[in-house]
Amino acid sequence: MKLILVAFFLVAATHAALAQDALVSTDWVFQNVKNPKVRIVEVSVDPGLYEKGHVQGAAGFKWHSELCDPVARDVVSRENFEKLCSRNGITADTTVVFYGDNSNWFACWGHWVFSLYGHKNLKVMDGGRQKWEAEKRPWDTTVPSFAATTYRVESPNLDLRARMADVLDVVQKKQDVRLVDVRSPEEFSGKIIAPAGSAELAIRAGHIPGAKNVPWKKAVREDGTFKAIDELKKLYAEAGIDGSGTVVTYCRIGERSSHSWFVLKCLLGYSVRNYDGSWTEWGNAVGVPIENESGTIWTGK
Amino acid sequence: MRFGAAAAVAIAAVVAGLVLHAVAGRGRELSFTLIAGFAAGIVFQRSQFCFASAFRDLFHKRERRVLLGLITALAVGSAGYMIVFGAWIPDPALHRPNTAHIAPVGWHLLLGGALFGFGMVVGGGCITGHLFRLGEGSAVAPVGLLGVLGGYVLGLAAWNPIYLNLVSSIRGLWCPERLGYAGSIALQGGVLAAGAALLLHRTPAPAPAAPSPATLPVVARRVFVERWPAWVGGLALGLIATFAYLRTSPLGVTEEIGRLARLAGGGLGIMPDRLQGLDELVGCAAVANPDTVSTNAVFVLALVGGALFAALVAGEFRPRLGTAPGHLRALGGGVLVGFGAMISLGCTVGTLMSGIMAFSLSGWVFLIALALGAWAGTRAIGRPSP
Repeated sequence: MKLILVAFFLVAATHAALAQDALVSTDWVFQNVKNPKVRIVEVSVDPGLYEKGHVQGAAGFKWHSELCDPVARDVVSRENFEKLCSRNGITADTTVVFYGDNSNWFACWGHWVFSLYGHKNLKVMDGGRQKWEAEKRPWDTTVPSFAATTYRVESPNLDLRARMADVLDVVQKKQDVRLVDVRSPEEFSGKIIAPAGSAELAIRAGHIPGAKNVPWKKAVREDGTFKAIDELKKLYAEAGIDGSGTVVTYCRIGERSSHSWFVLKCLLGYSVRNYDGSWTEWGNAVGVPIENESGTIWTGK
Repeated sequence: MRFGAAAAVAIAAVVAGLVLHAVAGRGRELSFTLIAGFAAGIVFQRSQFCFASAFRDLFHKRERRVLLGLITALAVGSAGYMIVFGAWIPDPALHRPNTAHIAPVGWHLLLGGALFGFGMVVGGGCITGHLFRLGEGSAVAPVGLLGVLGGYVLGLAAWNPIYLNLVSSIRGLWCPERLGYAGSIALQGGVLAAGAALLLHRTPAPAPAAPSPATLPVVARRVFVERWPAWVGGLALGLIATFAYLRTSPLGVTEEIGRLARLAGGGLGIMPDRLQGLDELVGCAAVANPDTVSTNAVFVLALVGGALFAALVAGEFRPRLGTAPGHLRALGGGVLVGFGAMISLGCTVGTLMSGIMAFSLSGWVFLIALALGAWAGTRAIGRPSP
């Protein structure tokens, strides 16, 4: 009994420590805007938000050109990633703190890209722009200049990324890997292919066989902050994700699923990979199995 | 002949701007500061904005022109600052703007303002007055600036006891913190409007002039040769002040003088080991990096360049030696100006204008003391012989 209690406290403490490790508060960021060892980065989806006002000293990354390859469908190349970090004065020891709009959904994706390339010290500002705004903290419009560094990727962690072949293996060889679809229930069931206004679509609707639907927004509260650790554990446990085995998160493209990847890996400490490509790859691929409960099958029209 | 020289000045400014823009890290800030300084120099020269002559002419001849221009500048700048505050500080009760010149309030401001006001009238120029007259070719102006530097050194040497005894509220008073943005603009707008009304109240109406046609030569003369109406200069100055605050820092002309004074004082061995409180206070006395040339140096030099350019185009560049008594008065007055500017952490631009535009009480206190000192100064120099 004592052993169980000790183990429980150890696990709880580790998880609390993990959350402490991965998240920083708006107040901590406010106190550290001038800390030379910290680089605050805004990754927002809505254009113009960073320019209208950002946290003092924060760099603004354009997600579609600086974190993505604009020609080939891939994340930013290693070379361009090194250039991005170099011109923003980031060294291997810099603690990079991400924040952004919409409950930090693309900020988490920025975190994932940096994790992929093996950067050690990464944090996310809990609550993102919403919380900063709600607390009426000051904004700045000055774009900072940084003394350039020579950043080199040392030990990329490509294990954090699942490719289509990996996911196909999971489905066909029935591996002990949990698939989490973080899209809306309508997309998951196949009722719609993508939300209205999305540019990237797929030829077929539905989800990857065996996947469980936990929409990404369920991990955050109204104010943009992440829910408490025990709430999150319960949320994912209800979908059969309890930390055993590996988890693969996916969404429509792979950016939103990084948000859930962040929750599962950095807050809960599970073993998680993000399937970058997600439904825009799977739903357009030839010959892959799909589950579609809503009956919206292709009728040739 | 003079247009060629003006063109040379303009080309030199463009080249300097390109060179500065290439400086690593600070390039954008430096090149913008050059543009702002050059534009400010043009405005000061074309409008003949000098606080010293403004107060002297007010008390001697009831001439209100420059002061009306100042009120316009303050009104436009206040509105501009308010717009920027709204973008940066959603709730002024919770946070203060980082770089606005919200200076400490205390007896030091009254002393500094009074000495500045007295000295500027006696010496024939406030600091920007000397700077733009330098651009017009006055040999007295650099002597005055030398006096300012000397006074600044003395101010630094005397700072510690002044800080410990006279500076009462380090936090100063930032109006929006107490009254919010709407309340502040209403109050300050009201005061400025009342001041303008008071000044205009007893101005005799000028004889109506026949309106001249707006042809190119007429307009060109009005812009490049004739003295600008005060409100035009004030409007331009208020806009420059707003853009400078938005892009770089509030306007000020004594930061570089202060840096040089610290070096000179250190060299002479009369500097105290530590200047109490100074490095935490915002304004023109806090020096970022004593060893490198400050951004403010770019502003000041560009200001002289802009004034030179405007003077050449207008045909007002007249190298003049001045008289020996004039030089002595400029030097002596300059010392008082420099001392007053140092202990007030800024001058008529940095403390008065940038302070009032930022809704800081310190700006108003300095203005009142300045006016009193200037009045005393005009009594001291007596009326000019008819």
